[in-house]
Amino acid sequence: MSLNADSANMAFTFKGGMLPMTVMELSSADPEHIRRQLAGKLSQSPAFFQHTPVVLSVEKLDEPHLALERICAVCRDHKLLPVAVRGGSEPVRQSAWALGLGWFAPVEETRARALESVSKEEASKNNASDDERIEAQAKSAATRLYRGTVRSGQQVSASDGDLIVIGAVNAGAEVLAAGSIHIYGALRGRALAGIHGNTQAGIYCRELEAELLSVAGNYKRLEDVDPRLLGRTAEVHFIKEQLEIKPLG
Amino acid sequence: MAKIIVVTSGKGGVGKTTSAAAISTGLALRGKKTVVIDFDVGLRNLDLIMGCERRVVYDLVNVIQGEAGLNQALIRDKRVENLYILPASQTRDKDALTQEGVAEVLEKLREEFDFIICDSPAGIERGAQLAMYFADEAIVVTNPEVSSVRDSDRILGLLASKTRRAEQGGDPIKEHLLVTRYNPERVTTGDMLTLEDIREILAVHLLGLIPESEAVLRASNQGVPVTHDASSDAGQAYTDTVSRLLGEEIPLRFHEVQRKGLLSRMFGGNRR
Repeated sequence: MSLNADSANMAFTFKGGMLPMTVMELSSADPEHIRRQLAGKLSQSPAFFQHTPVVLSVEKLDEPHLALERICAVCRDHKLLPVAVRGGSEPVRQSAWALGLGWFAPVEETRARALESVSKEEASKNNASDDERIEAQAKSAATRLYRGTVRSGQQVSASDGDLIVIGAVNAGAEVLAAGSIHIYGALRGRALAGIHGNTQAGIYCRELEAELLSVAGNYKRLEDVDPRLLGRTAEVHFIKEQLEIKPLG
Repeated sequence: MAKIIVVTSGKGGVGKTTSAAAISTGLALRGKKTVVIDFDVGLRNLDLIMGCERRVVYDLVNVIQGEAGLNQALIRDKRVENLYILPASQTRDKDALTQEGVAEVLEKLREEFDFIICDSPAGIERGAQLAMYFADEAIVVTNPEVSSVRDSDRILGLLASKTRRAEQGGDPIKEHLLVTRYNPERVTTGDMLTLEDIREILAVHLLGLIPESEAVLRASNQGVPVTHDASSDAGQAYTDTVSRLLGEEIPLRFHEVQRKGLLSRMFGGNRR
């Protein structure tokens, strides 16, 4: 009884959540270098830079001290909102906290810890299946399903996950996805998978007539595609530094 | 309450005005009280095709700007009862049309008529968008040719996003495809896209197919909508189209090469 009364008065509840998050993996600590690259990216895909929250990953940097404040300022100038830092030395962690940013352990450590916790919880299977469900929900929320013909001049994008189109993508139309693109129909327009750099993404379609195919920025124009592949089912992947197109199945 | 139907295409010269005139005439011949509105401000043509260019006093822009009443601007067709034409202005440009003004005119017409046919200008700019904005149904006119099909595809995209029904999230606009200038012989020789190709790309309901015909040109120049020419193939095709628009199921005609008889081969008779 008293529990119920309390819950009515609660100002908030803590809930576990898995949100899609962009990780900006730094390979240079030079703010000017970062600025130049961001400016280039901004002009390419302005839609992406709309106060997008990012986690700055400094795992690949081997520098004990970072001009973190300046790097954050560069990001904000380009409408990216740094919300946390991942990895780095103890001084990096301290300066992240001083800037009001969160700090995440490097991936290796996180994975090790996750394994640890899984083995701990093996006894209580219920909890594990709950976690799985949350994860599955987060994944399915990022997938976008579009039913109908994507027509000339239209753009359909899934900025966090896969895109599924049940219908054709006509010439002059554009479909984009952070993940893979599945088209249950003819692909006559442009398809760009892995727009945030995911080279594992693929493009699948029932009939290939695409104007442009791109996986993680590596593209092929219709002219570059072997004519024997046209008009058939196709899957497109980025393999050995180039786009590989082959019939499905 | 009238049904508002826009006749549109994206590309110019595919037969929008001819089709708007022929379909509105066909509807009136079937006893439906119909008004056809020319939205092509600055390049008006509908009055010529309808043969009423000498009777234009006031136009759509005059009505929208309050310079004339709606009844003063409506021209009554001389050949068919129940048919009225609201012409466009030739001296103004498309910026003279406002969304509120168009809405007001259509609201008034809705009470009195069964069908309001909006003849859209070519392109996808303001004039075309206003012509389609309030529509309940759309007839997309397409020629069997790649650029026309591409533009029609673009228009279908706009119909699904830039119209009142799309913005207010009600039932979507009912889309129809009308293929015009279809020449089965040239389809066979590969000069033109086949009907199947067009239908596969555009993936919308086929309302009708109008064969390429001398009767259309003749009708335009004489200012008599081709529907009146009941002996011509195009006239019959438009009559079929109107019947389908009214919900009847009519088999498709004129989409296959007709075998020519010995006489017409000898004398090179053209189909009329």
